[in-house]
Amino acid sequence: MARTKGYPEALEKKLHDQRYYREDSNPEFTTKVKGISRTIAHMCYQCGTCTGSCPSAPRSTYRIRNFMRRAVLGLENEALTDPDLWLCTTCYSCTDRCPRDIAPTDVIMAMRNLAFKRDIIPVNFLKTVTAIYSSGHGVPNNDVNRAAREKLGLTRDPPTTHMYPEYLPAIRKIIDHYKLKANADRIIKEREG
Amino acid sequence: MGNVVVVGAGIAGIQAALDIAAHGIPVHLIEREPTIGGHMAMLDKTFPTNDCSMCILSPKMVDVARHPDITIHTCSEVEKIAGGIGHFRVTIKKHPRYIDESTCTGCGDCILVCPVEVYNHFDAGIGVRKAIYKPHSQAVPDIVIKDPDHCIECGLCYDVCGPGSVKREDSEQELVLDAASIVLSTGYSVFDAQKKPQFGHLSLPDVVTSLELERMINASGPTGGKIRRMSTGKTPESIVFIQCVGSRDMPLGRPYCSCVCCMQAIKNAILIKEKNPAMDVTICYMDIRSYGKGYEEYYERAKALGIRFLRGMPSDILADKNGLILQVENSETSEILMMHPELVVLSVGMGPAESLPDLARRFGIALEETGFVRTMHDALDTTSTLRPGIYVAGTAVAPKDIPDSVASGESAAMRAFRDAFRLRSA
Repeated sequence: MARTKGYPEALEKKLHDQRYYREDSNPEFTTKVKGISRTIAHMCYQCGTCTGSCPSAPRSTYRIRNFMRRAVLGLENEALTDPDLWLCTTCYSCTDRCPRDIAPTDVIMAMRNLAFKRDIIPVNFLKTVTAIYSSGHGVPNNDVNRAAREKLGLTRDPPTTHMYPEYLPAIRKIIDHYKLKANADRIIKEREG
Repeated sequence: MGNVVVVGAGIAGIQAALDIAAHGIPVHLIEREPTIGGHMAMLDKTFPTNDCSMCILSPKMVDVARHPDITIHTCSEVEKIAGGIGHFRVTIKKHPRYIDESTCTGCGDCILVCPVEVYNHFDAGIGVRKAIYKPHSQAVPDIVIKDPDHCIECGLCYDVCGPGSVKREDSEQELVLDAASIVLSTGYSVFDAQKKPQFGHLSLPDVVTSLELERMINASGPTGGKIRRMSTGKTPESIVFIQCVGSRDMPLGRPYCSCVCCMQAIKNAILIKEKNPAMDVTICYMDIRSYGKGYEEYYERAKALGIRFLRGMPSDILADKNGLILQVENSETSEILMMHPELVVLSVGMGPAESLPDLARRFGIALEETGFVRTMHDALDTTSTLRPGIYVAGTAVAPKDIPDSVASGESAAMRAFRDAFRLRSA
């Protein structure tokens, strides 16, 4: 489905499609999300404080409260196939403000994990995997940054794999252990040919 | 002869004292503040009838003052309790009032001449009082109190006082009272909104608590019943109420619902909307709990008046040079709203009275994890504490509204009377 960023038309459409039936619910999903996120996702009472704190919400159709509701109701397909899942910036404001002491950000991370198991992931996230594999950084250093660092009296490269490339094989070993690079390459190839 | 000691003279304690005394049992009513009445005296109107709070409370306060079997001890606190059911010995400490209680007529001449102004605790900090003052005009007992911490000893009140009741020196007194049984009705303390720094109470001037709003819309309050923005002194054009501030909040260790805030916000919204029909009044809530007699109808009435009920909570209040900014998701439509209200009211919840842990130790009674008093049974015996002969009423047990506090005052009175009566017939 083509991703529309219009608002509120896109929102209107989403809202029209908000009836769920028993067969839509997978109680296992709630258990899995709680297990991976290590947070009491089922305790959510839908007050909406999380969306109130969300910097992504006013700029998109992403509603963290909606994902919490899907976690509680076990709406696995709804949650994992919604492209909004990837719009969380993981700033943790909602986790800081939740009156139920839930970590909604971690719920999102758990859902992303589960989505990836079904090959549901935007290509730009996979390109980040490729970048980490090749340089050790999601956002590798560039000449603009190097100049800025020099101006601040810092080394041109930070003391990471950029400065010590000899540690890159260890990072690649971890990524390969989880077959992350192989899967990323496969999916990118499928999508982009 | 069995006496009963009632500790705390809010509406629950007043009701308990009146009921016990109606049976001819002598009652000692202990109150820490200089006047009886408690939090109810601070409120503007009461829900769901929109009765003026003071108009229904002050007849009871006067009944207490005039009752031959009730002795009021204001400015007093319980020091210790010895003995047991039927033969308690209650030691109370009476703080100095610097006024001769027997001769002061409450005329108020001293208040007029006093040159010192201090923030008034009774006005929730938004109004002022003098250094010699009555907390409010209907104080019972109707006498003044001198505040030695702020008095500058100018001497004007000594000269102006006709009966010469103002004392230069006064000291703490200790009193020992016999009691067959004790009623504890020490009430609650409102949640300190500064513990939720994201809402900016006391740093953003246009963010007030519900208790401050009560004083503001009260015709005898500091603004004479006019709603004012603290920043400009003008009447706001839009108001947002934020519910559940310090209630149903796990990180703060306050998991309970405060019972009254929904109805209190609806009541204040109705009062504001009736007086200012053009004002934009919004209540941000997570659940509206209008559960009592006539409450749901009251909620419907508020909706019909055009008060907007928005199901969604802001997480913080931001401010720029144009005013306040609240980001709220309408959770019924998923729409994000950026609101710019001119006044925000935080509906602060009820918590156990700050002095309760200390008091519970002196009384030898148990508290719950939440800090409220533990009773014998949460459903079947809500007035007996774990120590025989000590009963508890009002919001010391749990957050309650006025009708429930009155009812629990009555039921604690029945138990306390039974102990006193047994002693008398024995």
